Amino acid sequence: MLIVSGPVGGSEHHRAGHPEGPTRIRAVMAGIDDLHLGTDLQTVHGSPAERQQLTRVHSASYLDELTAFCEAGGGDIDPDTYATEDSWLAARSAAGAGLAAIDALRQHNDGVAFVAARPPGHHALRDRAMGFCLLNNIAVAAAALVSEGERVLIVDWDVHHGNGTQEIFWDDPNVLYVSTHQWPLFPGSGKAREIGGPHSRGHTVNVPLPPGATGDIVRRAIDEVAFPVIDSFAPTWVLVSAGFDAHRADPMADLALSSGDFADLARAVAGFAPRPGRLVMFLEGGYDLVALQASVTATLGALLGTSYEAEDTTSGGIGAEMVSQAKAERADALGRADLVLPPGGLL
Amino acid sequence: MTPIQTIAVGFDGSPDAQAAARCALELANQLGADLVFVHATGLLEHIDEPQAVLDLEETVWVLTSETGFDPGRARWHVDNGDPCSVLLRAGEPPISADLVVVGSRGQGNHVGLPLGSTSHELAEHTTIPIVIVPNGETGNR
Ligand SMILES: [Zn+2]
Repeated sequence: MLIVSGPVGGSEHHRAGHPEGPTRIRAVMAGIDDLHLGTDLQTVHGSPAERQQLTRVHSASYLDELTAFCEAGGGDIDPDTYATEDSWLAARSAAGAGLAAIDALRQHNDGVAFVAARPPGHHALRDRAMGFCLLNNIAVAAAALVSEGERVLIVDWDVHHGNGTQEIFWDDPNVLYVSTHQWPLFPGSGKAREIGGPHSRGHTVNVPLPPGATGDIVRRAIDEVAFPVIDSFAPTWVLVSAGFDAHRADPMADLALSSGDFADLARAVAGFAPRPGRLVMFLEGGYDLVALQASVTATLGALLGTSYEAEDTTSGGIGAEMVSQAKAERADALGRADLVLPPGGLL
Repeated sequence: MTPIQTIAVGFDGSPDAQAAARCALELANQLGADLVFVHATGLLEHIDEPQAVLDLEETVWVLTSETGFDPGRARWHVDNGDPCSVLLRAGEPPISADLVVVGSRGQGNHVGLPLGSTSHELAEHTTIPIVIVPNGETGNR
C-alpha cells in the first residue's frame, strides 16, 4: 500500500518564473497517477506542524523571524530562496505532511509513505532558510520519531548535500544521516571527512560524487560506504530525502541518473527498514518536470512491486575513485579523535 | 587584534555590493592589505552560469581599476553556497580573511527585518570582524 501525504504546495507557495514552484507537485501527482494503484493508494491530509514540533529542529528566534517576514508580505531571503505571505502556512503544512505520513504508517503497520509536499526542506538550517527551503521537513519528522525513542536513518539522494539535515542531527546519536551528492556544488558542504559530532561520531556519512557519475556509482556509495554503518546502526525507521535532481535531464546539476536508477536505489534503501510500514519518502529537489514525473513513478513502483515504466539503469560514468577516496577519508577522520568539525560542514 | 592582511568582500553585483566593494578597495589601500572578492554560486546560478559569473568578475576588475588599487593584490573567488555560508567560510583557507566587508542588504527586500539580510545573519555568526557598508540609496531609510 502507498500512503501519499499531500499534496501540499500546489499553489500556496510560488513565485513566477522560479523553478521551485507548484508545477513540481503537479508532476509528482501525475507520476503517482501513472501507477494506477486503485485501492492500494491512500491519501492523507495532515495539519500544519505545531510550534513545539518545529522547535525540536529550528530555533524559536528563526521561527519568529520567518513568521514576521511572511506576515510583512515576504520577499527574497537569499538569491535562491523566496517567501510569500502564504509561505509560513505552506512550510508548516509541508512539515506537518511528514508527521501525518508517519501517523498513517503506524496505523496501518504496513506499506510505504510518500510525502508530496513543498517547499522542500533539506537545506533549511536550525536558524536559517536557504536553498529554496524554509523548514526542514524531514528533520521535523525524524526529531518527532527520536522523541519517541526511535532510531532514524535518513538517506538523502538529492543531488545537493542536505546541509541543513546534517547540521541539525550532527551530534545526535539517534539519527544516522547518509548523503550522496554532486561535489563541488551548492551548498559546498558534504565532504567525506564530515562524520558527525563527538556524541555521534560516524553517524554522518557523506559520499561526494563528480559531475557525470551514473547510477551504479551512487549504488556503490550506498553499498560500500554507507551499508556497513547502517547495518550496525540498526535503524527502526527509514526516511528518505528523495530529490530527483540527480536525473541526467535536470538543469540544476550534472549527475547522470535515469528514472530506473531511482527505482534501483529505492529498492536498496527499502532493505534498510526493519519491517514494512517504516519507510517514508520526502520530496526534495527535481526540476525537470518530465524526469520528475517519471522518477516518482519508477521509485514508488519499485517500492510497491507493481508494474511501472522506467528508463534503463545507468552505468559506466566516472566517480568510482571518488567513492574509494570517500571511504579512505572517512576512515582517516574516524581515526582522529582530535578532529572537530562545525555541524554545517563549513570547513 | 591580528593585523589586517587580507580583506574579503562579498560581491553579487547589486548596488549594495558595489558600495561594499568600493569601501573594501579603499580600506585595503589604506591598510596595505590584499583583497578577495567573494562570490557565492547559488542553486539558480547553476542554470545560467558561467556567463553571469564572468560578467560579475568583469565588474569587479572595472571597480578595481577605477580606484587605482593594485590588481596584483586583488583576487576573485567563487564558492558554492548561499552568500552567508560562503562569507562565513572566508576566515578559513583558501581565503583566510582577517576582515569581511558586506553591503547592508544584499538581495533582501525588507529593511529592518533580519531575515533576508546577509549582513545581519553574518553579524550573528561571524568569528572575524565584519564591516557593514550602507548603500547611499538605502542606508538612510
Ligand atoms: Zn537538490
